[in-house]
Amino acid sequence: MTNTKHVVVAMAAACLVASTPVFSQTATSSRTRTHVETLASDKFEGRLTGSPGEKLAADYIISELKRMGARPLPGLTDFRLPFTFTAGSKDGGTTLAITKAGSAPQLFSGATTVQALSFSDSAETSGAIVMAGYGLVVPESQNFGYDSYAGLDVKDKIVVVFRYFPEDADQQTRAILARYADLRYKAQAARQRGAKGMLVVTGPRSPNAGAVVPMSFDTAIAGSGLVAASISSEAFAPIMAASGKSLEAVQKEFDSGNPHVAGFAIPDVTVTLKANVIRQQQTGNNVVGYLPATAPLTGVNKPWVAVGAHYDHLGRGTTGGSLAGKDEANQIHHGADDNASGSATVLAIGDAFSQQPRKRHLLLAFWSGEELGLLGSNAFVTKPPFPLEQMSAYLNFDMVGRVAGNKLTVQATGTSAMWPRLLEQANIAAGFDLVLQEDPYQPTDVGSFNTASVACLTFFTGAHQEYHKPSDTADKINYEDLVRVGELASGVVRRLMDSADVPQFTKVEQKTETGGRAGLRLFTGTIPDYASDVKGLLLGGVIGGGPAEQAGLAKGDVIIEIAGQSITNIYDYTYALELLKIGEPAKVVYMRGSDKRETTLTPSARK
Amino acid sequence: MALPISASSASSGSQSALSESTFLSRVRRLTVDGKRAGEGYWSPDGKRLVFQSERDPANPFYQIFVLDFATGDTKRISPGVGKTTCAFFRPGSSEIMFGSTHLDPKSKQYQDEELAFRASGKERRYAWDYDPEMDIFAVDEKTGTTKRLTTARGYDAEGGYSPDGQWIVFSSMRDAYNRTLSAAEQKQLELDASYFAEVYIMKADGSGQTRLTDWPGYDGGTFFTKDGKIVWRHFEENGLVANVWTMNPDGSDKKQLTDFGAMSWAPYEHPSGEYFVFASNKLGFENFEVFMVDKAGAKEPVRITYTAGFDGLPVPSPDGTQMAFTSARGGGAGSAGQIYLAQWNHEAAMAALKAAGPRQTPKR
Ligand SMILES: [Zn+2]
Repeated sequence: MTNTKHVVVAMAAACLVASTPVFSQTATSSRTRTHVETLASDKFEGRLTGSPGEKLAADYIISELKRMGARPLPGLTDFRLPFTFTAGSKDGGTTLAITKAGSAPQLFSGATTVQALSFSDSAETSGAIVMAGYGLVVPESQNFGYDSYAGLDVKDKIVVVFRYFPEDADQQTRAILARYADLRYKAQAARQRGAKGMLVVTGPRSPNAGAVVPMSFDTAIAGSGLVAASISSEAFAPIMAASGKSLEAVQKEFDSGNPHVAGFAIPDVTVTLKANVIRQQQTGNNVVGYLPATAPLTGVNKPWVAVGAHYDHLGRGTTGGSLAGKDEANQIHHGADDNASGSATVLAIGDAFSQQPRKRHLLLAFWSGEELGLLGSNAFVTKPPFPLEQMSAYLNFDMVGRVAGNKLTVQATGTSAMWPRLLEQANIAAGFDLVLQEDPYQPTDVGSFNTASVACLTFFTGAHQEYHKPSDTADKINYEDLVRVGELASGVVRRLMDSADVPQFTKVEQKTETGGRAGLRLFTGTIPDYASDVKGLLLGGVIGGGPAEQAGLAKGDVIIEIAGQSITNIYDYTYALELLKIGEPAKVVYMRGSDKRETTLTPSARK
Repeated sequence: MALPISASSASSGSQSALSESTFLSRVRRLTVDGKRAGEGYWSPDGKRLVFQSERDPANPFYQIFVLDFATGDTKRISPGVGKTTCAFFRPGSSEIMFGSTHLDPKSKQYQDEELAFRASGKERRYAWDYDPEMDIFAVDEKTGTTKRLTTARGYDAEGGYSPDGQWIVFSSMRDAYNRTLSAAEQKQLELDASYFAEVYIMKADGSGQTRLTDWPGYDGGTFFTKDGKIVWRHFEENGLVANVWTMNPDGSDKKQLTDFGAMSWAPYEHPSGEYFVFASNKLGFENFEVFMVDKAGAKEPVRITYTAGFDGLPVPSPDGTQMAFTSARGGGAGSAGQIYLAQWNHEAAMAALKAAGPRQTPKR
């Protein structure tokens, strides 16, 4: 599962003919354990996409598919479906030359002085300079009226913008502007107004003052159509000098958040920005096979039923996504729950159906690149090996090995009116305390299928202390209940296979605006429990040594108020986080059991 | 298992040593389809459950469904039109009874009005409306024919069959409609019709309808016990305090079993015949929990559920090893109430009842 989130909708009911799935408990149970222990073993080195460990894991899965009699997809000879991705970007030596009228150019280079943004084009551009404040544009649909480019001519110019968003604006303004403060979003706004390049400077009144933006991990295969770099205050000084103003004074004006504070052209100076971004291309491998229908498919509507899970994980956690503490940095991230558990479940479903009659084809998919941003499943739905209209449904399994208190969360149930009834039927035998969530905008491969308008579900047993840490190991898996997840899913698959009716796809509206993800620069050290339905924010854990732990918060606490904002769900919480300021204590009200408590949490800067 | 109960625990209030897991295990949500569900009653062989659920997109009100534990399948057995409630399997027969308003010509109109209201996005507190057109019907699962058992104007519902399947005990508000009301009574009817509900008994074919109670306050939630008595819930005149009572099927020997000074209702007998489970808001007006009380009502009732949100309408399985109940513990889409199922520890229940102190009288 990757680190993101989102919501919602309505539904109806439908009727399906049911029969009882056959699932041999003991054989499945020991095999499931073997699958998890193998995939999560040191030998597979955390299964980083494109790594030797990923290849070994793929080999193991393929041998299992062959054992149960699955085949490569029709027309293909290999179970592997490769896809290309950017495994990382680095700066190959970006330079900035500043030329004042009548003087020799001043040249800046070096990683702490000028560094390309990860999504920059690798190209050279020159032009006059326009200071565009924070470079923020709030879409008109928001009825907010904030456009850093209002009245500015930036065509063929190079814009300079501050990082983040106005420091002194009131809470509501900050909350709105924060959503458009992502640097990618700022670059897009500059490009749309005709700018050739963008320079980012971290203002003296902001956290990380004067520093360049670290090169972030970015999986985009190409650049954003703009030459963009961040520069240190030292490199910015000659430009500022040409304007005759002090950087601090200029920032202070923009910091008010007043939309009428205008940007300005800086006279008598031109710059030449030469960005050099090296994108390292790599290949990842989805592993996909199928069990063909055992009866003729004539007259069968949508002849494919699909189950899938990602089998990749974080490797040693060096490319982002790791929550490892300092003491365990660079160790193998075993990913037993995330997502050897889901992979083992897909194998178990395949095993069960390999022995049974099948009125439809059963697709068995093992995605790679999920932890890097759903890359494998996206590649699959973008160029599907058969038309996706033929897929009656897709069931996804991501982190299903930690059943606690008999609870199982099923998400994306809003994608078809048929799901609640079908899950209820299948669960009578499986016996889980089910929690249904309609939202398909989940940080796992189900999102790719929802985008492709395939009725889908994803199964999840909740976040935990070991999430994205080396300690997510096979010994912590609840195998007995993991097997039951497979039983429940097999019950759903059985009904999908046998039914003349297929689930009708329903589009669920996305609740939150997705213009640029909030420039979340704040670190609280809380780990929300995304599977929870409690009122407030249930903490699945806190990061060791982080602000939350220092504030005395612990796993199981439910935050109900932060900085005066009442919290009823994860969205309230992320919204409220945008209002916090680094280093400024915020009051937190929380429930520990039935005890209402209060503490003070001081967010630190996310590096 | 050694139970952590001391002899004085009930009266000293140190019942915190008990917890939900003392009595209930493998608690799980049974119904997930639809906005709300409740009132799950077992078939005599324990293989099926009949319940009411709002799950038809065209009808926002409860309809009656039968769930088959072997296949997981659920099928609607009520007409699909109007409101229904309180279904019950007839022992030794293929009949199931339930209350329904489907003969009311305005049923469809009410459905559409309610759907429009819900579509408007407005919210209101959920309230059962004691529709005076509600009558009791029995559907024969084999033939599919439905017969009408009551015809009186006024809400007829909340019934159960006798163990031999020959009798039905039920609740009726007909007393508010079959005579001229005084001005005060008329005002009461407009305020809360349930005040007029009394317990009635009739033969399984609807004949011989006889009234068994005659006092102010809502009488309902009526069931037979194994030994042929009737257990039900009687509300005091104020409509806020209710208690569990038993009586003979001729209305004699009325006995009060609980006295929390709170709303104690929905009693159902455990098949051992040793105790009743019921729901009460003793711990807070909005906080219903399941309790149990010994057959004679001699001891202080013992608390069973300890989870936030509504827990009520407990119904043990015929073999006494499971309990179905209605709960809002799931939160989210299920916060309107759904049916839950749990393993029931009868031995722990007996031990806790044995250890309970004598029944207390509330301070008023
Ligand atoms: Zn993950």
